[in-house]
Amino acid sequence: MIKKLLYSLIFFTINTPLFASEGSTELLNYWYMVLPFVALLLMIATGPLFYHHFWEKHYPKIAIAMGVITVTFYIVVLHDTVSLMHTLAEYLSFIALLASLFVASGGILIKVDKKATPMLNVLILIFGSIIANVIGTTGASMLLIRPFIKINKDRIKPYHIVFFIFSVSNIGGALTPIGDPPLFLGFLRGVEFFWVIQHVWYIWAPTLIVLMSIFYVLDSMNKSGNDAEKDYSGKIEFKGLKNIGFLAIIIISVFIDPNVQSWVPSLAPLPFGIRELIMFSIVYLSYKYADKEALRANEFDFEPIREVAYLFAGLFATMIPALQLIAIEAHEYGEELNAGLFYWSTGSLSAFLDNAPTYLNFLSAEMGKFGMDVTNKTAVHEFQMLHPLYLSAISVGAVFFGAMSYIGNAPNFMVKSISERAGINMPSFFGYMIKYSIPILIPIFVIVWYVFYYGQG
Amino acid sequence: MSKIEDVLKTDKKGLHYGNRLILPFPIDILKVNIKNDIITDFSTSDVGAEYIVRDDYTEIYFHDYKSLMETVAKYAVIKMVVVEKGTDIFDQGNHKILSIDILDKHIVDIKEIHDDQIFIE
Repeated sequence: MIKKLLYSLIFFTINTPLFASEGSTELLNYWYMVLPFVALLLMIATGPLFYHHFWEKHYPKIAIAMGVITVTFYIVVLHDTVSLMHTLAEYLSFIALLASLFVASGGILIKVDKKATPMLNVLILIFGSIIANVIGTTGASMLLIRPFIKINKDRIKPYHIVFFIFSVSNIGGALTPIGDPPLFLGFLRGVEFFWVIQHVWYIWAPTLIVLMSIFYVLDSMNKSGNDAEKDYSGKIEFKGLKNIGFLAIIIISVFIDPNVQSWVPSLAPLPFGIRELIMFSIVYLSYKYADKEALRANEFDFEPIREVAYLFAGLFATMIPALQLIAIEAHEYGEELNAGLFYWSTGSLSAFLDNAPTYLNFLSAEMGKFGMDVTNKTAVHEFQMLHPLYLSAISVGAVFFGAMSYIGNAPNFMVKSISERAGINMPSFFGYMIKYSIPILIPIFVIVWYVFYYGQG
Repeated sequence: MSKIEDVLKTDKKGLHYGNRLILPFPIDILKVNIKNDIITDFSTSDVGAEYIVRDDYTEIYFHDYKSLMETVAKYAVIKMVVVEKGTDIFDQGNHKILSIDILDKHIVDIKEIHDDQIFIE
């Protein structure tokens, strides 16, 4: 198993010169064009840890510069503007959804005046995991992390935040394309909206139950704050409720796509549609008309979404050659790969790299194995019908393993940042993994693999 | 010597210039949060932050940032746990959590942290 996994990882990450392209064999001669992608991913992983202030100041320039290298290559050497326009359209859809969810949920304040108990905490985490599928892991994290900290003010420990990241910011959002960015990218590529919930809920539910049971035991042992004598009104108050309306519009607009609803006009050749226009308008309106008190209490800051926008601009551009090369080469080496290996490969990389591009790479690889092209929406639709086990493996791998490190998924960093601003000393990058994610999540993920993917596909 | 209580009551403002913050009362600082940084080590004069307590005011230098105005976002604040000079630092009842809002024209608005904001000591 380990040998196969290593083979798979090496195959997808290091051995890039092997990659070839049927459609554009010319790309084979330029295998090194995946290097800007690899370099950017490495810098995203190491920048915030080892050269924090330099990275904080220069990451926009670095991300854009890496993207420009690839874009220039496609225009000047390959004369391929179609791939670039396709990627630009996908990026605009992606960032429109994330930005609108981020800004709209940032203007909502929830105040809960209840005594913290392990059971109440479990209920909040389960509630967050469910609504993550409606307003995204980003939206749910933004909405609930502050009330969660506030309720536990007298007994808060880093594990509270870590389990919040595990459930609400990652695993919870595995049921719909709105839940987590990788699944939204899959939806944009042609995976049906309700396909994920139909094929993942029976993995999602037991995983969450196990996770919540561990949390409950841990939290029951935390006796801090028990002696604080306080009166609790039990009230739950909301501020900025009009932003709930904006959130509803965002969710509805996800379906306003000419490929989903025939009445929706296409704005082609523009690289965006009505859906993106609505979402970007929500960014503006939900900020302009937000309850200022709610923004202030949430310490709203555009910096987290600005960071995601710049980094993903670079990632989307630099990953074009990687996607194209992997898809074709997997066709040749596909026999070696089964659903279990795709689960571990997607998961292992999603733990450290952004899980959205990782998912796309492996979707491309899986489809390549069966001689299908990820850039063709009809082919993606056909793939989900014919090989659901494979699609489920990368969907679960990309979403679940995003919880393995702070850099696995965009909300992880946002939650860490909000917690630190609340004065909580969060574990370091490696502390998070050694103390929490490896001992708690890896055994759970092994069980998921054994039960659902081992020996299948 | 100005007391925190009086400054809060009279809404007296502090000042900021570049990375220097000036608060109009003498205090000892136990913990500061600026952006994502939690600073508890004030022992060095080249990284993190250092503070100098004067008779009537306290000045704090944030070494990792050039400008507080550019660092702290519109709806964000600097938060700190402080103890009034002359009071018992070991009595947690004397610890106050302040929120420092960086405004235009070098002005700093100082408030005790309000109910909606969170800062765990």
